[in-house]
Amino acid sequence: MTRLIALIRKELGQIRRDKRVLASLIVPPTVQLLLFGFALNPTVDHLKMGVVDLDHSPQSRDLIANMTESGAFRLANTYFSTDQLGTAMGRGDLDAGMVIPYRFARDMERGRQPDVQILLNAMNANTAAIAQGYAQNVLRNWSQVYPQLDGLHAQYRPISANDVSRRGRVVMHPAFLFNPGLVTPWFIVTGTLGVLLMLNGSLIASAALVKEREAGTVEQLLMTPAGTGEIILAKITPLFLLLCLMILFATALIRVAFGVPFRGSFLLVLAGAMLCMLSGIGIGTFIATFSKSAQQAQLMAFFVNPPLASLSGALTPVEAMPQWMQPLTVLNPIRHFGIITRSVLLKGSGLMAVWPEMLALIAFTAVLLTLSVMRFRKQLG
Amino acid sequence: MRRVFAQMRKELTQIARDRLALVLALVLPLCLMLLLGNAVSLTVTGLPIVVQDLDSTPASRDFIDAFRASLTFHIVSWPSSRPPADAFLTNTARAVLVIPEHFGRDMARGRNTEVQLLVDATDANTARLVQGYAGQIVSNYRPEAQPVKADIRLWFNPGRDSKKFYGPGVFVMGISMFPALLAALALSKEGEQKTILQVYVSSISAHEFLLGKILAFVAIALAEAFLSVILLFSYFGLSFAGDPSVFIVATVLYAFCVAAFGSFIGLAIPSQAAAIQAVALGGFLLTFLLSGLIFPVQNIPSGIRWVSSMVWARYYIEIVRDALLKGGGWPAMWWSVVRIAQIGTVFYVLGWRKLRRMQLSI
Repeated sequence: MTRLIALIRKELGQIRRDKRVLASLIVPPTVQLLLFGFALNPTVDHLKMGVVDLDHSPQSRDLIANMTESGAFRLANTYFSTDQLGTAMGRGDLDAGMVIPYRFARDMERGRQPDVQILLNAMNANTAAIAQGYAQNVLRNWSQVYPQLDGLHAQYRPISANDVSRRGRVVMHPAFLFNPGLVTPWFIVTGTLGVLLMLNGSLIASAALVKEREAGTVEQLLMTPAGTGEIILAKITPLFLLLCLMILFATALIRVAFGVPFRGSFLLVLAGAMLCMLSGIGIGTFIATFSKSAQQAQLMAFFVNPPLASLSGALTPVEAMPQWMQPLTVLNPIRHFGIITRSVLLKGSGLMAVWPEMLALIAFTAVLLTLSVMRFRKQLG
Repeated sequence: MRRVFAQMRKELTQIARDRLALVLALVLPLCLMLLLGNAVSLTVTGLPIVVQDLDSTPASRDFIDAFRASLTFHIVSWPSSRPPADAFLTNTARAVLVIPEHFGRDMARGRNTEVQLLVDATDANTARLVQGYAGQIVSNYRPEAQPVKADIRLWFNPGRDSKKFYGPGVFVMGISMFPALLAALALSKEGEQKTILQVYVSSISAHEFLLGKILAFVAIALAEAFLSVILLFSYFGLSFAGDPSVFIVATVLYAFCVAAFGSFIGLAIPSQAAAIQAVALGGFLLTFLLSGLIFPVQNIPSGIRWVSSMVWARYYIEIVRDALLKGGGWPAMWWSVVRIAQIGTVFYVLGWRKLRRMQLSI
């Protein structure tokens, strides 16, 4: 025990002298959380819409006004023919187009069902899907409200309104739970937290271990009576404590800068964050056992980090991945931590709901740390 | 000119000998493309949904069948004794559809009837998608009852296949990152091992040295681009939508831009580990975040949007997406091509000045 404490004191002294470590605990989390939170925003609004109004009636103008005042679309230009609209979309001047046919108003007044064509630039599938929903919503709401509007123009009511053959409509009322304002950064920021812990944990840990090897002081450490496990433990403990400070800092940042609600127990999130970070440290030490220099360790991180970050469901939903890829995400600690933070912070779930994820994180930590201790021992033995 | 080619040959031989560099240059981009092109997407399918049918009539079951038939939702069972919102706490469902008791009666009487959709909005984007998809299912359930019919046409990517959108994006990411990384490594190695001093005393001029280096990495970038384009055409099912000449010219210019960026970093930072980090910041983070790769540029807050107008990858992404999906050609894209050439020249001049200054100081 005294040996361990002595080793830890040595590591703490080394870290204290290295100003860069302290900077790397504060600068990357701040920059990444703020950049990701503000810049990664899939919200669809102010799509440029071009309109071809062949009807020129009060009704068609009212529909255009409704469509473009919704915030989702804004009127970019009006065209006289659909061909002009098509070329404008091809040039990239427009994201969407709407064509109101001749006789639109007359059909409405007679109780017939007029068609409105809506063109969407579907290059970005997500934007197209959301814009499609918006357009349909606006059209539906407008056509429900419109017949009751009283304007200066004459009103016609379909005579067949109370006919037996009339069929009822299903009206859907969506309610958004846990995030009724649909604040996008809440999702991104809670996911980024996991990515951050993982990447920083692995980077700092691999750098600390590789430094010893680059300087050629590993042999000196091995000559001391301390065992391999103790050496690694002594390396990890101070890093762990420092990174815990980073967790507190990062959670404070997402609370203050993004207003993420803390609905569940904060201790549970903290425990999950520590476990996630430990598995990050585990990956870092594992990488370090494969590389001889800091440069190699960093190149190795190029192989490991992009898949880890992208196959985690932290920045994009897991359900959007292809079927065969989704089971792979179970092997990713970031995914489990993401579920924990979102469930606990946003939904207020308790340990009863997230224990499988906690268990998975404990398993990752144990496996990765044992593996790296074993490899470290074998390499030096 | 002969000396430029000699320098380029020397560089390429060095890379061909280094197995790690070869993997970085040619294999990793393809793997990354397959992985990220598939994984990075925001359009969800197969979302679990819980249906609480308080009516249990043939009409309500018919309505549920409309949801069951969609690819977007799959219905999971949930005991009717537990409150439906609890399904969100345990992450079993992303939405709950509640059908009220009088649903069948209202439908039979030709009255409008209301259903409720509870959506787990932890992920705001998915919540919006769920609302949109569910709204479409509901309005298609009785299309003849809608007063106005919407004919929605999706242009340029009719299947709304997100692979076709993100595939080109990830291609750009690979090409922005790896040639730049290799160039930075090669030049910072010269600085780190002091072999750059040999260059200073040789008769080769700064222009010749830099051009030779850059041309070698342009060649690598083009080889990478060629392999990636084969992958884009086969696996991602894309093809040239219009005039391919924009794409070809832009690719050559972009390869130059990226190689010049990497060389500049390598010259400015004579330490390999630090140079890798700088490229990771410039090549990866900026490309990933501020170029419209996943998230539209318009959504970046205006305070930092000006940064994205200097991100070279942004222009190339526009060109690649245009060439493979839209086919706008030169009239739509000439400005982006010019911007790439401008930024590439800036990096080249910066690198050259760095090199010349060092040469004078010796």
